[in-house]
Amino acid sequence: MQNYDVLVIGGGPAGLAAAIAAHKNGAKTLLVEREARLGGILKQCIHDGFGLVRFQEKLSGPEYAERFIDEFHKLNLEAKTLTFVTRLEKNASGFSAVLVNRDGVETVTAKALILATGCRERTAKQVNIHGTRPAGVFTAGTAQHFTNLLGELPTKKCVILGSGDIGLIMARRLTLEGAKVLGVYEAKSTPSGLTRNIHQCLHDYDIPLYLSHTVTRVFGADRLTAVEIAEVDDKMQPISGTEQILECDALILSVGLIPENELAETLDVQLDPKTKGPVCNAQLMTSVSGIFSCGNALHVNDLVDYVSESGEIAGENAAKYVKAERKEIPVKAGSRLLYAVPQKLDLNSDNQKTVLYFRSRDILNGCTFKITVDGKTVFSKKYPFLRPPEMEKLQIDFSQYQLSENSEIQLDIEVKSDE
Amino acid sequence: MNLNQINKKLNARFHGAVRAKLSGGCIILSGELPTWQDTVEACQLAATKYSSTHVVNDIVCREVKSLPMRTPKLQDSALDGRKPDILIIGGGISGVSIARELSKWKLDILLVEKEADLALQASGRNDGEVHPGIDLSKGSKKHYYIRKGNAMFDEICRELDVPFRRVGQYVCFNKGFAKPLVYLYCLYRKKHSGISDTKLISGTELKRIEPNFAEEFKFAISNPSSGCVCPYGLTIAYAENAVQNGVEIALNTAVLDMEVENGEIKSVKTNRGVVYPKLVISAAGVFAEDIAKMANDRFFSIHPRRGTNSILDKKAGAYMHSIASVKDLTVSKTHSKGGGILHTVHNNLLIGPDAVETYEKENTETHKESIEAVFSKQKRTMPKLSERDIITYFTGVRAPTFEEDFIIESGRKTKNLIHCAGIQSPGLTTAPAVALDIEKMAVQMLRRVQTVEKNPNFSPIRHGVPVLKDMNDKQRAEMIRKNPDYGVIVCRCEEISKGEILDALRSPICVPTVDGIKKRIRPGMGRCQGGFCSPLVTQIIADFLGVPLSEVKKSSADSAITFGRTK
Repeated sequence: MQNYDVLVIGGGPAGLAAAIAAHKNGAKTLLVEREARLGGILKQCIHDGFGLVRFQEKLSGPEYAERFIDEFHKLNLEAKTLTFVTRLEKNASGFSAVLVNRDGVETVTAKALILATGCRERTAKQVNIHGTRPAGVFTAGTAQHFTNLLGELPTKKCVILGSGDIGLIMARRLTLEGAKVLGVYEAKSTPSGLTRNIHQCLHDYDIPLYLSHTVTRVFGADRLTAVEIAEVDDKMQPISGTEQILECDALILSVGLIPENELAETLDVQLDPKTKGPVCNAQLMTSVSGIFSCGNALHVNDLVDYVSESGEIAGENAAKYVKAERKEIPVKAGSRLLYAVPQKLDLNSDNQKTVLYFRSRDILNGCTFKITVDGKTVFSKKYPFLRPPEMEKLQIDFSQYQLSENSEIQLDIEVKSDE
Repeated sequence: MNLNQINKKLNARFHGAVRAKLSGGCIILSGELPTWQDTVEACQLAATKYSSTHVVNDIVCREVKSLPMRTPKLQDSALDGRKPDILIIGGGISGVSIARELSKWKLDILLVEKEADLALQASGRNDGEVHPGIDLSKGSKKHYYIRKGNAMFDEICRELDVPFRRVGQYVCFNKGFAKPLVYLYCLYRKKHSGISDTKLISGTELKRIEPNFAEEFKFAISNPSSGCVCPYGLTIAYAENAVQNGVEIALNTAVLDMEVENGEIKSVKTNRGVVYPKLVISAAGVFAEDIAKMANDRFFSIHPRRGTNSILDKKAGAYMHSIASVKDLTVSKTHSKGGGILHTVHNNLLIGPDAVETYEKENTETHKESIEAVFSKQKRTMPKLSERDIITYFTGVRAPTFEEDFIIESGRKTKNLIHCAGIQSPGLTTAPAVALDIEKMAVQMLRRVQTVEKNPNFSPIRHGVPVLKDMNDKQRAEMIRKNPDYGVIVCRCEEISKGEILDALRSPICVPTVDGIKKRIRPGMGRCQGGFCSPLVTQIIADFLGVPLSEVKKSSADSAITFGRTK
């Protein structure tokens, strides 16, 4: 049985950054990846736009991943690929993980775990699509896998439901491959993806975007032959009488990502119903001592640059955890926030460079983000607007606020019209 | 009920639009009605429950569009001129269990199934409950077979290597005053159904067994002999065992017509040539009436009734561990049960099914209304149920007669024919017992024209694809040492390895489609619904067959997944 300080589960951008950071902070680290190659979902993201924040460069997904993979190998870090974690257990000295791969079944131990397990995509049945069960219903990521990794065209004429970023990217990608994208339909009244993707993927290719519309049914006994589209009301329920049938051969869904925390749940890690990721402190440690979370498993990020960053935070702190203790206080998010990460601060850690991520619940104009400690405003920042699809990031030095175990940290957004 | 009474009732309700007459021992209904609902109602008015004098529906229904049976794309002459001793029509649980029991004999048996795989209709689209049979009345075929069938499940599932669990069923009541009545009902039912283990349990006891059930339940009927099985898993297992014992199964093969002479089927036309069987067994589900008509032996009618089930994530599977339903103490007019909650052998929950009359035999579309209706009812049993836990849903179409009983008998006019028709719930439970009876009937009928000897090579044992995730670490490591592909996990939700997928591709009835593999060993059955693994499974199948990826289908010949190479 091999023993490690830190075990990283997942070899995508979060896991790679976490493993590198843990290693640099002196931890004996192992990374486990279920696929044959490192890089995670970036392997199939052949479009550009990755790394603008981190490298001030426009990289493709594989190029971005390669930078971390190169560093990972340069540091002689250990990875087990095509290896699946089938079971995790907590014990007195830390954790044990049962791994399955071509060599058999193996147990390794670690003093800290970093869960970098990413997301899965919401499926057709989870957004109430009815009708038949034909071939030709794909999540955007699956369509991307067929197109970019296997070089196979999954559609000639399709409808895309959901304006999430992968859906927008796939609208452009499939158009470039000669497929006809009839339109992107979004049940919400505002787009879900980044504004830049609406422009670069839809407008530039004359692909129409229909807001407040959804797909309600699919047709076709064998391959999909048509979909039924309907307008929705402000509760996102289809309005009867607005249905129309569109002939096509595929329905591609970009209707949301769900952080993958099934492994975390087997160890009773507390999850935040909003983020669907673990509740964690600024060191990205979860409610279970020694288990850290990062990347899209923690919360859905808009940019990979932040995924890597959270991986680094988790990696560094997992390495430090292997020795230290903690004392935590909650960070409460007000009602105008959709959520904020971290949800807790550890007083025993250096909180000088705490990175806060948050999203507003609604589209807000002319607003101020405020942090209060024990009722006193200690920080405020004005924003011309805040939108739920765009994650905001701040770096705060919490060490200057003389936090004690009884301190209350509250995050709020104030809008001009409040006054 | 005599003919006069029937016509009186029909006149009162339909004002002369429908008439009944007696002919050839059947009640034939004719006339014209606007809707299918009316048509079903008229036939139900004329039918006597469990009677062997069947209602035959010849009413012209203006709403009904003529829907020809969907036939396979395949056209060849692979079966042309074949002269099997027995032709079995239908690859559902009935057809394959009959084939397996008949494979104990030295006979040439051909089973034809029009779909691309076995169990693609009702047998693969039900909840897999092995019923206790307490609610069935004496005198019916259902009642005759249910206890025999139920009792056979432990052994049959052991022989066929199919997971089966007697998880127990609870019929829950929220009115305490009904307890003495229900107690008497149970006593009476137990006596004439021959069930010894049914008992009443208190609300407190129920709460102890299933803590997440509604607080309001005062007591429940407990049926410990109820169980659950994977219905398509059992069907495929039966079929594989039949094939191992010499039965030929032809998929994508539809019966299109028959030549009948002097009360005897001479030949059967399929899309793969004309077959000349000595004996025909019809286990054709919703098409049993159509087959009977081809064989000049139509004495019953099928009225399709669809039902939709939802499958919930394994996380919700932890909410309860049995089979449950809530009982309203009002008179219910529906024939099949209004659905329930069932913890499956794979630890998901199944919610449903509902029951909706339809003339469309092959329409398995799902509808939002079905899911909503079933959930609003089942939340009364377990308030914790949530639509948010749904990972998928499916619809099946039941094949009842208007008498709501099975038809298990030889042809009334046509000699070399056996009907296994009208099979609906609890047809999965009864199938093992029915198959034994039909085996006896068939052997007896064949012995009139030939000698029938035992098959000396018959083996009742079938081994399924090993399930690595259910093994302990040591066993699993040993398997991987022998075949490293068992260590390559392809479907992460259900933990299915590449080795298991290749085993399924090499199984006795190879169905090299994404759905074929999914049905056999479950990649794509989990919470991501194939989002991660479907490209990988498609690739493994393409490599195995040595064909381009675009040649691999989801299910039928026309269900292409991709359209060829990108630019």
